[in-house]
Amino acid sequence: MKLVLGYLYPSVMSQYGDRGNVLTIMRRCQWRGIDVEVDNLEVGDRVDPRRVDLFLMGGGADTHQRLVCDDLLNVKGDDIRRAVDDGAAAFAVCAGYQLWGHYYRTATGHELPGLGVFDAHTVHRAAQTGTRLDTITKAGSVRAVGNLIVQWGSQVLVGFENHGGRTYLHSGAQPLGRILAGGGNNSEDGFEGCVYNNALGTYLHGPAFPKNPALADYLIEAALSRRYGSVALEQLDDARETSAQQRALQQATAKSARWRQLWSDGVG
Amino acid sequence: MASGAAGRLATTTTRAAAVNAGKTVRFTSRALGRGGGTALPGRVAGRIDPGLAASLARGLPNGCVLVTGTNGKTTTTRIMAGAARAAGFAVITNPEGSNMLSGITTALLVHANGLGVMTAPASAIGIFEVDEGALPSAIRALSPRLVVITNLFRDQLDRYFEVDFIARLWQQALSALPPSTTVVLNADDPQVAHLGEDIQAKVIYFGLDDRQWARPTLEHAADSRRCPNCNHDLLYELSFYAHLGHYACKECGWRRPDPRFAAWRVQLQGVEGSQSQVTTPAGDRLLQLPLPGLYNAYNALAAAAAASCLGVDPDLVQLAAQSTACAFGRFERVSVADRQAVLLLVKNPSGFNESLRLVLGGEGLRHLLLGLNDNGPDGRDVSWIWDVEFEACAGRLKYLAVAGQRANDLALRLKYAGVGDTSGGPETVPGEPVEDMVLAFFAALEQTPPADTLYVLASYTAMWALRRELVKRGYLAPFYAPGRDCRSVTT
Repeated sequence: MKLVLGYLYPSVMSQYGDRGNVLTIMRRCQWRGIDVEVDNLEVGDRVDPRRVDLFLMGGGADTHQRLVCDDLLNVKGDDIRRAVDDGAAAFAVCAGYQLWGHYYRTATGHELPGLGVFDAHTVHRAAQTGTRLDTITKAGSVRAVGNLIVQWGSQVLVGFENHGGRTYLHSGAQPLGRILAGGGNNSEDGFEGCVYNNALGTYLHGPAFPKNPALADYLIEAALSRRYGSVALEQLDDARETSAQQRALQQATAKSARWRQLWSDGVG
Repeated sequence: MASGAAGRLATTTTRAAAVNAGKTVRFTSRALGRGGGTALPGRVAGRIDPGLAASLARGLPNGCVLVTGTNGKTTTTRIMAGAARAAGFAVITNPEGSNMLSGITTALLVHANGLGVMTAPASAIGIFEVDEGALPSAIRALSPRLVVITNLFRDQLDRYFEVDFIARLWQQALSALPPSTTVVLNADDPQVAHLGEDIQAKVIYFGLDDRQWARPTLEHAADSRRCPNCNHDLLYELSFYAHLGHYACKECGWRRPDPRFAAWRVQLQGVEGSQSQVTTPAGDRLLQLPLPGLYNAYNALAAAAAASCLGVDPDLVQLAAQSTACAFGRFERVSVADRQAVLLLVKNPSGFNESLRLVLGGEGLRHLLLGLNDNGPDGRDVSWIWDVEFEACAGRLKYLAVAGQRANDLALRLKYAGVGDTSGGPETVPGEPVEDMVLAFFAALEQTPPADTLYVLASYTAMWALRRELVKRGYLAPFYAPGRDCRSVTT
């Protein structure tokens, strides 16, 4: 079997260790004897909807979103939508997630049109409140930054969020999960992410796949099942993955108070 | 008139109260053994009198210099301060880790008298390291004569959010500088170099002109591949590390400015240091440095360019560079009985990559301990380790251990990097993750034969916890002690 991974804008939309998601898909396939080909889809590159099994799009700043938004919509848009409607898997994170909705209104009020795969829209908190982001403190005050823990079916997903945009799902749109800790979509309704067919959108950085192998495997399985009929993946030894996830969960819920004390003593 | 005098009196009283409160906090903090008391005194004093830092800075006869950037600001500040001292300046500087305005205020108020007036000698100058995010407020408060920016890399995105945001903050801050001031910028970093466009301050560039250190492609940790002028792709003729190199925009024609201070024929002498030929307006000089790596060669070059703006001869920079003791966890050597270790602080992907390159350089297998915490100063988001090229460690290690609060994340990252994968032949498998950095250190040291060196690469608070214990046991000097030398204390 072979899986073709379409990595959208690797040179522009890849902050926060997004490359770790690509690496995780490659390794988890390789360990099972599944070949992986990675297509780097930069600005100007066209998408073959029959070729790509799994799309990945990572995070970036407002300026990066502005750079790719036109290309995403006008060069790749129709083919990505066609592939997703046909059952291709997709994972869009943060800035990527925002551009897969209907539109994203940036901190300065610019409206960037999106793919519309997810029935949702995003507005930067600064645009909602009319805050001018001219200091670090002000920039921090409008962002959701911290550990993000999500109930996804029977699984718990761990990650880190860092975004100024607030995403609102339209009626009928299905969220990825319920928030156990963090802000998620909009810090208001208790939901995180969005699901359409086999496409998932989320604010989970971390990167998400290494510490949530069930999520990675879910997408690999969905991607392969579209091409090869129902595929059941071989179980891997995920002891490292599970212990890292557990550790992250502990850290997120109870940061060592003792350490904070030591630190404030020492630095004054 | 009367009201004016009363107003002035009130200000003077507040100022004196602020200085005295700050000094009391500092004294108490030290007497209680609560560390250096480096930031709190300034914070308390600044709360009482928000204009204190500005007033004290105005009392510096030779003004002040601010040094910022993602990597290298501590070392650059140290070399510069050493050169200025050699040239006869009485240098007031802030200890590392206290690079917010409060830390600078503490450093200043120590030199004020009970009336809140600066009593520094006529030769006094302030040379301060400043946090990237604090540069705008530091420029407003201190009206520096000179600002030095080393580079801009992705670092602690949970604190700084986006690299572009810092670049915008800096641009706004620098545009407020008057024509009488000077800005020293890295020509090889596109976003930093571009800060020199359209500002009133005089701009001096430094950069590397040595083809032998160019790498074929940009690394993944490169943050700036776009033209800061027009947002199109930058073409790199040479790429040194991360996004530092010789570049030009094929669209608008904006290109790397020619540096007045250029290093060429750089010889890296492994972990011992480096030597480079430096072109300066005062002629060519040889710059010998006891600190290793290309990134330290950049720091020395930045210091040379900045020092010359103060009228300090490049020869004195050479003298200062030669005797610069390493900063906190910057290639700090430790001896414990017959065992040797070297401590390297790692804060971001580009710095981590450079440290790994340094440690793995040359022949032989290495002993390595990696430490990762996720407290505020480390960055609460540990995703950045996925942008570090750990793949380079595969097959190069004899011993590998992971420690710290997020040791499990390191172990996982190494698994996906193929380090410890024995399917391809013999390979060092990392030990089980250990939270306690100190335990892990002594266990690792036991596994390191006397003829070898244990390399410790750790994030800020993981390194801090380890150093704290090494100081307690007498293997290292505390980093806030006056006149401290971080070279090893042998027992």
